[in-house]
Amino acid sequence: MASRPKLSGIQKQVLTLYRGFLRTARLKDPEERRRIESVVSAEFRDNARNVDRRNFVYIEYLLRRGKRQLEQLKNPDITGLATLEVKK
Amino acid sequence: MAMAAARRALLTHLRVPVARPAAAAAAGTVPVAARRLLSSTTEETKGSFLDKGEVADRVVSVVKNFQKVEPAKVTPTAHFQKDLGLDSLDTVEVVMAFEEEFGFEIPDNEAEKIDSIKSAVDFIASHPQAK
Repeated sequence: MASRPKLSGIQKQVLTLYRGFLRTARLKDPEERRRIESVVSAEFRDNARNVDRRNFVYIEYLLRRGKRQLEQLKNPDITGLATLEVKK
Repeated sequence: MAMAAARRALLTHLRVPVARPAAAAAAGTVPVAARRLLSSTTEETKGSFLDKGEVADRVVSVVKNFQKVEPAKVTPTAHFQKDLGLDSLDTVEVVMAFEEEFGFEIPDNEAEKIDSIKSAVDFIASHPQAK
């Protein structure tokens, strides 16, 4: 990735979504903020490693899901987020 | 003709009071917005740009404190991806850390362009809201 200086549109969308999550995490309590940051960061990194970069359909699905989750997280009544590990 | 005469008669008597916010009235005769405009060329606002050397020092220390970075590699010319081995997600995090250090929000289209210590310093030093 480092060898490609220009980012594609879909990559920019992913980074914008990531930035959105980090910005929203700032609005929560410090402890919750750290939790959100670590969950979100793990999720993005995991997908960056494991999802084929040409699998646009799946990436676009993840983007849509992420945007929806971000909208929910923006609600001030939502203080945190949790993940459920399903055995594969 | 009659309309024009009526209009003239009306206009000579019509007076619209100049509305002025209380604060501006108290501060002087020039409205606040205009004064802000005038002062944009004075010393007062120039002073709100941070010194470039100070910005560089603070940017370097933010990047050195970033957990994935080897502090020894951080130089004023370091490129985030090529020299420091950061990926694009890391770069987003670093730019967010600059926002917190300098107390202002960097819009997405500007944040995308920041990919090295130098581009960060240039952008922050030219931004009047950086604290």
